[in-house]
Amino acid sequence: MKILKSWLKEYIDFDLTDQELADALSLSGTAVDDFQSTLDDKVIIAEIREVSPHPNADRLRIAKVWTGEEELQIVCGAPNIEAGQIVPLALVGANLGEDFVIKKAEIRGVESFGMLCAADELGLGADHAGIMILDASWTVGKTLNSYIESDTVFDVEITPNRGDELSHLGVARELRALLKKELKAEKVLPELKAGNEGLSIKIENPELCMQYHGIKIKNIKIGESPEWLKKRVEACGSRSINNIVDITNYIMLDMGQPMHAFDAKKVKEGIIVRKAHENEDLVTLDGSVRALNEDMLVIADEHDAIALAGVMGGANSEIEADTTEIILECAEFERRSIRKTAKTLNLSTDASYRYERGIDSGALVKAISKATSLILELAGGEVSSDLVSVASPRVVEIAELNYEKINALCGLKLKNEEIDKILLGLGFAIEKDHVVVPSWRHDVSIWQDLAEEVSRIYGLNNIPKASIPVTAAPAKSPYYFKEFIKDILVDEGFSEVYGYAFMSEQDLKVLGDSADDLIEVANPVQPEIKYLRKSLIPGILKAVAKNPTFDQVLIFEVGHAFTKKEENVYLTIATSGKQAKKEIEAAVMKIADTAKIDAKLFNVRELTAAEVERFKIKKLVTCVAEIDMDVLVEAMKKTDLNPEIKEYTKNIHYRPLSKYPSLTRDLAFLVNADISSSEVGDLIYSISDHINRVELFDEFASDKLGAGKKNIAYHLYLQDMNKTMVDADANDIIKKVVDAVEEKFEAKFRDK
Amino acid sequence: MKSQGTLHPVTQTVRKAVMFFEKLGFDVFEGPEVDTEWYNFDALNVASDHPSRDTQDTFWLKDGRLLRTQTSNSQVRYGEGKTPPIKVIVPGVCYRNESTDAGHETTFLQLEGLYIDKGVHLGQLIKILEDFYKYTYGDDVKIRFQTGHFPFTEPSVEFYARFKNKWFELGGAGMVHPKVIENMGLDPKIYSGFAFGPGIERPIMVKYGIQDIRPFRLGDLRFLKQF
Repeated sequence: MKILKSWLKEYIDFDLTDQELADALSLSGTAVDDFQSTLDDKVIIAEIREVSPHPNADRLRIAKVWTGEEELQIVCGAPNIEAGQIVPLALVGANLGEDFVIKKAEIRGVESFGMLCAADELGLGADHAGIMILDASWTVGKTLNSYIESDTVFDVEITPNRGDELSHLGVARELRALLKKELKAEKVLPELKAGNEGLSIKIENPELCMQYHGIKIKNIKIGESPEWLKKRVEACGSRSINNIVDITNYIMLDMGQPMHAFDAKKVKEGIIVRKAHENEDLVTLDGSVRALNEDMLVIADEHDAIALAGVMGGANSEIEADTTEIILECAEFERRSIRKTAKTLNLSTDASYRYERGIDSGALVKAISKATSLILELAGGEVSSDLVSVASPRVVEIAELNYEKINALCGLKLKNEEIDKILLGLGFAIEKDHVVVPSWRHDVSIWQDLAEEVSRIYGLNNIPKASIPVTAAPAKSPYYFKEFIKDILVDEGFSEVYGYAFMSEQDLKVLGDSADDLIEVANPVQPEIKYLRKSLIPGILKAVAKNPTFDQVLIFEVGHAFTKKEENVYLTIATSGKQAKKEIEAAVMKIADTAKIDAKLFNVRELTAAEVERFKIKKLVTCVAEIDMDVLVEAMKKTDLNPEIKEYTKNIHYRPLSKYPSLTRDLAFLVNADISSSEVGDLIYSISDHINRVELFDEFASDKLGAGKKNIAYHLYLQDMNKTMVDADANDIIKKVVDAVEEKFEAKFRDK
Repeated sequence: MKSQGTLHPVTQTVRKAVMFFEKLGFDVFEGPEVDTEWYNFDALNVASDHPSRDTQDTFWLKDGRLLRTQTSNSQVRYGEGKTPPIKVIVPGVCYRNESTDAGHETTFLQLEGLYIDKGVHLGQLIKILEDFYKYTYGDDVKIRFQTGHFPFTEPSVEFYARFKNKWFELGGAGMVHPKVIENMGLDPKIYSGFAFGPGIERPIMVKYGIQDIRPFRLGDLRFLKQF
């Protein structure tokens, strides 16, 4: 939701920078995602030093402008510029709204490095007659917004429990509590005569419509809204339609109260709030025909539905250019019912959004009075009915107030008065052992809710920190055994992969199995991928196929697999390449030895040619194995093994993958035996961003190499993000690497 | 010499977390990924028509169960029948029904933490999270806490870390809602507790400047072997 600073300031005075305001709101639960000043910081105060004619255009001139740091050349078309003037300058990069960003330009063959601005271009009025001439005393180089107050638009994310904040008044109330200030006194609205004259309102379902207030206004003139109204409504993301519709939107943005205006001439007799009839249709304002059902609440006249209550108005009662009399609606509907209707029709509107989250049930008369007063002011006309109100008695919410419990849960030691002060600031009334919840809050019912209020206004980051008592570690859970197995595989040269739990019909074929015992997803992302995997094998084979550039693929996954009967954790291993069979057997044997189980339980098998073909694996031999992790863990528990988890401390140099072909180079060095191969690896990485990966593949000491010497050898994977890696570039990088390693580690490059 | 094997970066991160919490006496529980609506939503005080269910697009299964949308499904599962102190972390895969792109993934990990005892308070939650992220990212890391909204915690907290001059959301936390404690079979008048549930992949992405979440699950060794 968009919140304007200028609008907030109508409700409360504050002296915070935009960043401070954003932080204060965010920390207390009103997340400010972003904010933007209507006067960009890149619009600065500048001095015109020289004006000369443009060589190729009569109407244009070239100004030399001093920014306080440098002189810029600006091409300008305004007639009123002269040397010596102080003017607003939009620098390259300045955002003047609606995606109008100043760029360096060439205008009729002359370069221009910014724009001198007229008032309208800065949103400071309608004046486009010439460049704004500023006060000569303003400091050149400062931002314009340090002299002219600019507005700021805050993009605020309101959590579902805080419907009360879906308005400027709501956010201002929040600031009142945070800043410990009072709201400004509001203008007193002329009182409307309450009664039943001139408009009939009937509520058939008071459980779904707790209150409905209506008033008729005649002799109005539909027209464009004044500039200030348009600007506000538009800055908040609504489209300006006409004065009446804009005013109802304005009240919603101002107070959070959705409102609607009907063309009174199109409403036969009075207003009836009722459930829709079976097979009833309504064409809503967006032109869609809505098929209604008996669960939906509508606003109707004697004959037809004229609005979908709390969601959208009907086309049959729409305000048009020739409308002269309106019925203004201001109502409260039951939250769940609105939510259900909006969901069923897949029609979420600003109104339904607010109703679902709860409106201020104590402010409806004020909202309709404010709207009426604005309409009379901006569209003329006169009130032609009483203010007719049909309302059930309002249910007052209370919550237990227990200072001790609140302090205990928050880890605070606040005095009762301090807690009172916070709650009073938020609009709660305090009565001995409970609070009365303000009419705009629908999310407070238990003392823990009050603890949240206290903690967020006191400030979570101000709460004293305390440690929890340390207790003895419980017995090692299966997790530890699982990780222990992973370490064995990593030691054997295997890499861990993560796959997806989903499986397609096609994958089933590989398993040579039926779908009988598979769990089916009711709403899959893609219709054909609708099963949950019962085995990790199809997934791991896809991973094998993903790696055509590796001669040898050694991978494993530990993951959940599902059937209608049970959920299991499987360990699945795949090897691919010339030695695949030997490698998988060695790995399985290692695990079997550790767990003291029969290696046969792993079901090692080599893929058939058909399977290899189906998965597009381009290697000679591919093998898989799969075992239920429970079997392994149970077996391991019977041994005297105490699985500790290992931390991996290697330095990670992440480089994104290029989509272009890469090159592999092997390098070997002779170094002193005490040199760490990983330190050499780190240095190699640092030489070039084109080095995607450095993999140590050989490290040995031998007498043949000389006493105290060893050989270390690396695969280097070289890539270029923008093109295919070519030999010439690779050679340059390799040369730099060799020089650096030789110099830093007194190494000797071992050329083949 | 053999080729170098690697652990998935998510596994490495979870391990580091386990090493931190085990010293404080936390158990490690993983819980099921297919679960009932009760454990994933109702037991956690998420009403069936609560708007917060909108924000979690769930994979529903034809048998009426679901793929867990959060590791919080394990709070009541683990807690029921136990006598406090209850201390557990739950690293596990969660699912959300959304289309996949560089920033979104149907399948991701969370690390749930739960501590229930007498007199557990917000100051302890804040401390344990701050200590954990100092342990993970070094003492210089700046962590801040904002009020959030989750039906299963009250008060609710979101926690952020400062990376590259921006506050980056790490996850949600809060004091366990009395109804959730009740659903564990415990008396919320006697016990209180905290829970937290940060994501795993996103902080890894921020730490290493990884722009795309998809390679985490594609099995491309050119990506995985970098870790």
